[in-house]
Amino acid sequence: MASNNVSAISAFIEGAPPGELADVVNDIKTLTEDDSTLLEKARPAFQKYNEEQLTTVKLPGSGKNVLISPYNSLGDGRYYDVESRSSFAFDPITQKASDVQSHPLESEHTDLMTSLSKTLATHAHEHYPSSTHAVFPAPTSSLAVLLVSNKYSPSNFWNGRLRTSYLYHPATAALTGTLRCDVHYYEDGNVRLLTTKTLPPSTVAASAGEIMKTIAKVEKGWQEELNRGFSRLSEGEFKSLRRQLPVTRQKVEWEKVTSYRAGKEIGGGRR
Amino acid sequence: MSADGQFDSALDLLRRLPPSNTSANLTRICALAPDLTEELLSSVDQPLEVRRCKKTGRDYLLCDYNRDGDSWRSPWSNEFEPAIEGEEEGAKPSERVRKLEVGMGEAVDVYRELYYEGGVSSVYFWDLDDGFAGVVLLKKTTPTGKSEGGWDSIHVFESIDRARTSHYKLTSTVILRLSTGSDALGDMDLSGNMTRQIEQDMPVTDDSSHIVNVGKLVEDMELKMRNLLQEVYFGKAKDVVGDLRSIPPLTEANREKATHQEMINSMKR
Repeated sequence: MASNNVSAISAFIEGAPPGELADVVNDIKTLTEDDSTLLEKARPAFQKYNEEQLTTVKLPGSGKNVLISPYNSLGDGRYYDVESRSSFAFDPITQKASDVQSHPLESEHTDLMTSLSKTLATHAHEHYPSSTHAVFPAPTSSLAVLLVSNKYSPSNFWNGRLRTSYLYHPATAALTGTLRCDVHYYEDGNVRLLTTKTLPPSTVAASAGEIMKTIAKVEKGWQEELNRGFSRLSEGEFKSLRRQLPVTRQKVEWEKVTSYRAGKEIGGGRR
Repeated sequence: MSADGQFDSALDLLRRLPPSNTSANLTRICALAPDLTEELLSSVDQPLEVRRCKKTGRDYLLCDYNRDGDSWRSPWSNEFEPAIEGEEEGAKPSERVRKLEVGMGEAVDVYRELYYEGGVSSVYFWDLDDGFAGVVLLKKTTPTGKSEGGWDSIHVFESIDRARTSHYKLTSTVILRLSTGSDALGDMDLSGNMTRQIEQDMPVTDDSSHIVNVGKLVEDMELKMRNLLQEVYFGKAKDVVGDLRSIPPLTEANREKATHQEMINSMKR
């Protein structure tokens, strides 16, 4: 039973919309009558959520925004930031950072990393009004190029997040990645846009400029396609589900469609 | 911890978690807080299931209002399927209200054909001390393909008798699921539900007035909600994506904005 509860709570955490983890946690607390051991047992789910969602956290002291991802995890709840050469403790439940320490960068691709960080910053500046991004060494001697763009407007009942995560493998020049968008609207309802685009693997020369050019092209193509997706659903599925008005362009004459009063059968109702 | 607080938290949670997983999350919540099960099942709207009436061969929709245990009452035959075992008989409307239910069912069937050009509809009524209540259900799904869609309308109302009028209270929920995909786009899922309420006094001359009144209320509500859904799904959601990422380079966009502003300023001079 208890393990079922942990898996239920883990599923709730996984489904938390952008910027609403604290609200979801509050609901879980009330539902479980403040059983803090349950939340503690769900710690792995919190960690997974933060790493997958590229949670941004302010570093104490510098106030710098940094990313949480699987690639900058040092284990034991600690993560590092390349730019400030520091590591920090991160509480996955409260999403707060503490205990900043210096952390030297170790990578065989330091030059490419540095130039990728620069071109990523330029790219982010051109297309993301507010984003947090980073380049980290990743397993099998590859580099992870990460960006998250959040916009929260809880007073207007909507929140949104766009995440891009690319892996570049210098030895094989292979670029892969995913692009995810998550928008939540919840005024007298609950509407969610969830998109996932997986990049087809491509080969790109080991230059920061070339890599970012490919990424920019992929992202632009995806976003144009997403806008077409909105139109397709609006003009296609939405319209074919329910018409705005009947073919006659007139509202239903309820006095006439009911056979109730006269007790006579009418043609349209039977099939 | 109060049960009310728990109930509100359950609803808040379901308002936040992905609407396409509502059924699974509802099951999880009921396992965490079993005392809430009954209240949650009757207040959380889920996509409607379709069943075929064994007696008439017509499709009808399942909901909490035509359910008795594991049986559901067909609006076409007025019988529970499967039949309820033992002495107890499932709850059915009185003769007068059943007659109204049948009349409304026929009218909604015409309405469904005019607006949905397909789909399934069902109407269930029940007696109240000072009037009656009911639910009007409509469901349509598009054929499976690259793009898919599903619409479920759930209109729950009360009609309270007054002198020469009735006071109607309508709570409407539309569950709209849309998805599409391609190599260039990947997967796109745009799903959710919205709820609106309205209260209105309307004139009543005889029982047939109720069918006209409820029909008009449902029709107006669906028109309003369809516009709202259109605005949220294809306006708001798309705008938020545009706020997260700009297709034209921002420096260019900002430059254009500045040029535009300059033009306006020069015209003012």
